[in-house]
Amino acid sequence: MIPCTDFIPAYSELFKILEELGGPQAVEAFWRTLSDEFLGNLRDCVERRGLEGCWEYWSRTLNEEAADFTMSLDLDEGVFRIDMHCCPSKKRLLDCPQIEPYPEYCRHCDLLYRHLLEPLGYSYTIDLSQCHEAKCRITVKTVNEA
Amino acid sequence: MAGETKRVMRRKASDNLYLHKDFHGALSCGIDYLDVHFGREAVVRYLHRFARSYYAPLIQEIGERGLPALKEHFERIYSLEGGEIVLETSEENLTLRVAACPAVSHMRRKGYRVARLFKETTDTVNRALCEGTGVRAELVFYDDRTGRSVQRFTRESLR
Repeated sequence: MIPCTDFIPAYSELFKILEELGGPQAVEAFWRTLSDEFLGNLRDCVERRGLEGCWEYWSRTLNEEAADFTMSLDLDEGVFRIDMHCCPSKKRLLDCPQIEPYPEYCRHCDLLYRHLLEPLGYSYTIDLSQCHEAKCRITVKTVNEA
Repeated sequence: MAGETKRVMRRKASDNLYLHKDFHGALSCGIDYLDVHFGREAVVRYLHRFARSYYAPLIQEIGERGLPALKEHFERIYSLEGGEIVLETSEENLTLRVAACPAVSHMRRKGYRVARLFKETTDTVNRALCEGTGVRAELVFYDDRTGRSVQRFTRESLR
C-alpha cells in the first residue's frame, strides 16, 4: 500500500510517465479525466451551494492536507479566494531530495478546477507566479450574466 | 457561520495532521488512466519507478537491516492509515496479514472507483522495495474487493 501521505510524490511521478508515454497532451487529458471523475464532491458542493460550496469543499481538504492558508468568502462581492502561504503538496516535493518534481506540477490545480468551475458559471484564476516557493492564489468569482 | 456574507479562515500547517485519505481515490484514478491508455506494463513501470526513487532511503535500510526495516515501515504506514494488521516474524520470514487495505476501504466508503490494477500498489511496490536487498517479496493472497492480503518477505540467502 502506498499511504496517502506518500501520494504527492507518486502523483508527480505519474505526470512524468504520462508525458513520457503520450507527451504533454496526455498529462492534460489525464487532468481533465481526474477533474471529471475525482472531483465529484466539489461539483456537488458548488451545484448545491454556489460559492459557499467552494468554502465547504476546501474547508475540509485544506485542513486534511495541513495547508498553511488564508481562505476568504465574500458573498456580497461574489468572490471566494485561497491565499496559499505554503502549499503542503509542493513543499513536500521541494523537500524530497530523491524526487525531481514534474516541472509543470502546479498547473494541475489550474486545469482541474477551471475545467469543473467554468461550466458551472464561475470564473477561475490562479496566480502561480510564486509557485516555486509553494505559494499561490486561487480566485473564484460568480460570473454576472449580461 | 451559516448566513454570514463574509468569512475568513486562517490555518497554519501545524494546526492539523497531514492525512487526506481522498488521495487514494486520485491515485486509483491515475492507475486506471494509465491502464486504459497505455496498458498494464505502463502501470507496473510507473509504480516500480516511483517506489525505487521515492523509497530509496527505505530500500537502503532494508539492504542494511533486512526484515526489521520492512516491519517498521509496515507498522508505521498501517498505523497511520488505521489498518488492522498482523505481523509474524522469524529470522527468515516476515508475513504481513492485512484484514482490509485502508486505501481500498476508504475508496469503497467514499464511492471512488477502485482501479482494476490497484493491487499493484502492493505487489509491484513491495517487489521494488526488496529488489537488490537480499529480501524476496511475494503477494501470497489479495482480495480485489477489500484489499485483504497476505504478504510474505523472505531472506533470499536462506531460501
